[in-house]
Amino acid sequence: MRAALVKLYRNTLFRLSLLGAVFFVVALIIALGNVYFLTISSEIRQVDKSLAVEVEEFQTLLDEGGLIPVGKEIFFRSGSGDRHYLLTSRNQDGADMVIGSLGEQVVTLINQEKTIIGEEGDANFTKVDFILVIPATDTEPAAERRMRGLSGYLQIDGKNVAAVVASRDVEVTMRTAERVKNAIFSSSAIALILGLISSWYVSRKFTQRVEAFNHLASDVRAGHLDRRAPRNYSEDEMDLLAEHLNDMLDHIDRLMKAMRYAGDSIAHDLRSPLTRLRTRLETAATEVKDSKAEETLFAAADDADQLLKTFDSVLRIARLEAGERREMLSELDPKMILDDIAELYEPACEDVGLTFTSEIKEGHLVSADRGLISQAVSNLVENAIKYTPEGGAIHLSLLKNKEGRSVISIVDNGPGIPQDSRQRVKERFVRLDVSRSEPGSGLGLALVDAIADLHRASFTLGDGRSSEDGTRPGLAARITFPRVRRQKQSHPAPPLTSV
Amino acid sequence: MRILVVEDDDIAAEYVRKGLMEAGHVVDLAPDGELGLEMARAADYDALVLDRMLPKRDGLSVLEEMRKDGDATPVLILSALGEVDQKVEGLRAGGDDYLAKPYSFTELLARVEAIGRRSDPTAAVTKLKCGDLEMDLLARTVRRAGKNILLQPREFRLLECLMRNAGRVVTRTMLLEKVWDYHFDPQTNVIDVHISRLRGKIDKEFEEPLLHTVRGAGYRLQV
Repeated sequence: MRAALVKLYRNTLFRLSLLGAVFFVVALIIALGNVYFLTISSEIRQVDKSLAVEVEEFQTLLDEGGLIPVGKEIFFRSGSGDRHYLLTSRNQDGADMVIGSLGEQVVTLINQEKTIIGEEGDANFTKVDFILVIPATDTEPAAERRMRGLSGYLQIDGKNVAAVVASRDVEVTMRTAERVKNAIFSSSAIALILGLISSWYVSRKFTQRVEAFNHLASDVRAGHLDRRAPRNYSEDEMDLLAEHLNDMLDHIDRLMKAMRYAGDSIAHDLRSPLTRLRTRLETAATEVKDSKAEETLFAAADDADQLLKTFDSVLRIARLEAGERREMLSELDPKMILDDIAELYEPACEDVGLTFTSEIKEGHLVSADRGLISQAVSNLVENAIKYTPEGGAIHLSLLKNKEGRSVISIVDNGPGIPQDSRQRVKERFVRLDVSRSEPGSGLGLALVDAIADLHRASFTLGDGRSSEDGTRPGLAARITFPRVRRQKQSHPAPPLTSV
Repeated sequence: MRILVVEDDDIAAEYVRKGLMEAGHVVDLAPDGELGLEMARAADYDALVLDRMLPKRDGLSVLEEMRKDGDATPVLILSALGEVDQKVEGLRAGGDDYLAKPYSFTELLARVEAIGRRSDPTAAVTKLKCGDLEMDLLARTVRRAGKNILLQPREFRLLECLMRNAGRVVTRTMLLEKVWDYHFDPQTNVIDVHISRLRGKIDKEFEEPLLHTVRGAGYRLQV
């Protein structure tokens, strides 16, 4: 699940469309917030303003006629419609005067905030939000109403003479506010969910088409030049991309076919006369009884053979590089291949005075072609035999390296290859000056390289075992295979234990 | 043996014909696929040498047509296309052996005689014999003049291959293909070394050598 989410998040298109969705939700929140501000909040401000006007009226009445007119005014106004008031004062006798509808009711304070009102801005008042509990009557059940009020003291000559609270029932406005808030929240959530779904859908649709291209590319790289990108003929940009890609592949395919045809024709056209040449030389060699001429004719036939082998190797490398045989690889343990090679070459080594040893471990699994790997290892062993002087040693091994990859190595204590030439000798027809006098075509290592490449293995040359007198560094040729990707085996469910 | 050679290269065909006749076989030539198929149907040959690239009808289709008719004549496919997968293709189409150009004539002769021999109904033998050398394929034992000879498994297969073709040349390439299953030519004389070891075991202590080297061709086991 987590991995799937990470994979989804890595998808470029998913991220882009998700970003779009997030922007949209932010815009939505701003727009709805604006609606809220323009309606609810301004209504509350309107209430605050009229409360301030009222309190100022009370102060004016107090200034003109004392506490009595104020009490009267509050008494009349109180309880009419959505208005509720409270006026408390203590007279000279110490008796409390309480006027207004709020005096008889239960209230719960929710919030208070100091504010300054009045034209001179000198009166200290407090904005209060509270809940007014209205008891049940014959017709109405008990109700809790949210109220917005202004409380403070009325003053004469800077002395507090009475405490006053003026308030309005804002229950309806608050309910509307709640509904608007809910609307903002739910619309944003819905928009976000829809955005996620559409991002997922869009990216999945798009990814499926991109995946098709990726599959195509790896198929083509594996040598399937006949594969083409799927088209839906909608002429959208993806479809056009597919069309162009297919045109390009057609072109490559044509070129490859032409090249292969040319190669095969050359092979056919050259091999037939060369075969005749060889047969003639051979026939002549058996017909002449003169031993010297016979020797020469056999040598000439061998030369023709050599020529054809070189030609064969070039064609073979070209075919390997085209990846034609990659589909023929199968999973196998290279141990059996190397055992056969060791058995084949051990006597040959002994014959020319070389010590041959091997360390071929079991339990390897690589994706390989027996024939090709045999040929590559055989080439490397023959190279070692050719260049290692008498009394030297050759070691063939199959081991796992630190990364757990299977490595075939052929190590000798011959003259080695200088560091700066090690890459170059893998190219076709490259032969080092020291080996020019030896027979060979300069294709052996190129063929090994092509075979390694076909197996997606790496072919490297390094220092081998230095000879006992320390004059020769030796050569180590290694073929390092990639790990075989095995399909994950599902773990069996743990056995149920009785409780 | 009566052999049909289907080959469009006149000079090569003529050489093959001449060589096979010298080896004591009767040879007919066909220059194209159509004629080759016609002749193969008309007469009863012991073996066919069939080029893959032919005018009018290519070698593989001739072969497929023959096999469809139920004609089991052993066929050696001859071609310039020497890659292993194409060999497999040729063998799958019903060929008995595959030889890539350029071939030496001795290689061709050895292989034609080997496949001609293979169609012999007595092929399922359990004992092989050449002079006083005897091989028991079931017990995996080898005796010469009543004396047991101990062979390594590979040496046994090497000798088996030679004994099955006793009296005829077996080339180094044939040995590599049949004993080691390798379809490439090593540059060194690996086969010679194995042969000389085998020779040390079967010939050394005996007066008359059985395993002969044939110059420019291969080996022959013969009394």
